[in-house]
Amino acid sequence: MNIQDIQKNGVTVVQFSGSIDALTAPAITEHLGGLISSGQIRLVVDLGGVDFTSSAGLRLLLGAVKDARAGGGDLRLAAVQPDVMKVLKISGFTNILKLFENVDDAVASFG
Amino acid sequence: MPPKNKSVTLVIGSGGIKCAAAIGLWKVLQENDIHVNSVVGCSGGSLYGALIANHADVKEMEERSYQLWTNDLMQGYITNLKASQDGSLKFNERSGLVDDSVLNKTLQGVFGDWTFDGLKTPLKIAATDMLTGDKVILSEGLVFDAVRASSAIPIIFPPWEVNGRLLIDGAASNPLPIDIAIQDGADIIIAMGFPLSYRSRFRSMTAVQEQLNNIYMNNILNATYAFYNLAHHAEIFTILPEFEGAISMFDVDKVPHVIERGEQATRELVPHIRRLLEQG
Repeated sequence: MNIQDIQKNGVTVVQFSGSIDALTAPAITEHLGGLISSGQIRLVVDLGGVDFTSSAGLRLLLGAVKDARAGGGDLRLAAVQPDVMKVLKISGFTNILKLFENVDDAVASFG
Repeated sequence: MPPKNKSVTLVIGSGGIKCAAAIGLWKVLQENDIHVNSVVGCSGGSLYGALIANHADVKEMEERSYQLWTNDLMQGYITNLKASQDGSLKFNERSGLVDDSVLNKTLQGVFGDWTFDGLKTPLKIAATDMLTGDKVILSEGLVFDAVRASSAIPIIFPPWEVNGRLLIDGAASNPLPIDIAIQDGADIIIAMGFPLSYRSRFRSMTAVQEQLNNIYMNNILNATYAFYNLAHHAEIFTILPEFEGAISMFDVDKVPHVIERGEQATRELVPHIRRLLEQG
């Protein structure tokens, strides 16, 4: 799992690649938690390079979204791949999270 | 061979004949030496869960599928549906539109006198209490009783009484009973689920009723699945096979396709499961 941050128009874009599961989730959770606690609460998670997520991925995303929103910001998803989208849909996460086709649209949505 | 210190539970949800995809799942798990510590099944998934818990051969499971899903199961449906509408058939909590003698005989033919205690891998089956709506977990006595209760599609098949409780389809309360695996402390849960498909044309009231039922059921599935994912301490691997076109209850000619899709969907997950088993 590679994690990379990019700043775009006051929004932090976090790029992951690989799989999100119980093995990789702790590092991602720590990374997102670090961003939020440092005040970077306008977040876009670019899932274009993520081909799989298990329940651990759902848990970490929900936790980070709650923390970002509690601080007045948001965490939005971009470029969700089909297999990950299936899991997000069946779990109802597509109703809770804001999803965008690409990173630029997600960044622009913050206004 | 991967270490076997993490407990793996297989959960097979409701889905009628589509649950035959579990045959493909079982085949792939065996090929990859992924040891299953316990099995949970619901409705159609209880049939395949029981076969897996008894370590059935995949060929045998496929043959059983052809025996199970026959049109005979719906014996009396049309006649009784009309009779229920004109009032000549009195309906109560123990009624069904189908004469269940074929279903009972078919399930007896498959499961005979199998008991939960006699299975090679522990099995739990989800059902629903007809009178209270409670989720019910069946794990002792005759496997036939549990599968029959769990498969009692409301209104279609008569409920089945087990230990003094009138039970119906587990899907009515818990279509993908991951909670049973969580309760038992499973580390890794492999859950195969089957969201119901929707129709776009309606030519009868029963078609509309079926659509509404599918909407309700899918929303129960989504809501419970979301909660279970957040509640579980470790890992849930979800398998949602996709099929070409609609698969109706008696499409036995599509069983090979269903199995193949279950196999394919499982193969995609195997590297992730193995990684967790080997490194976790």
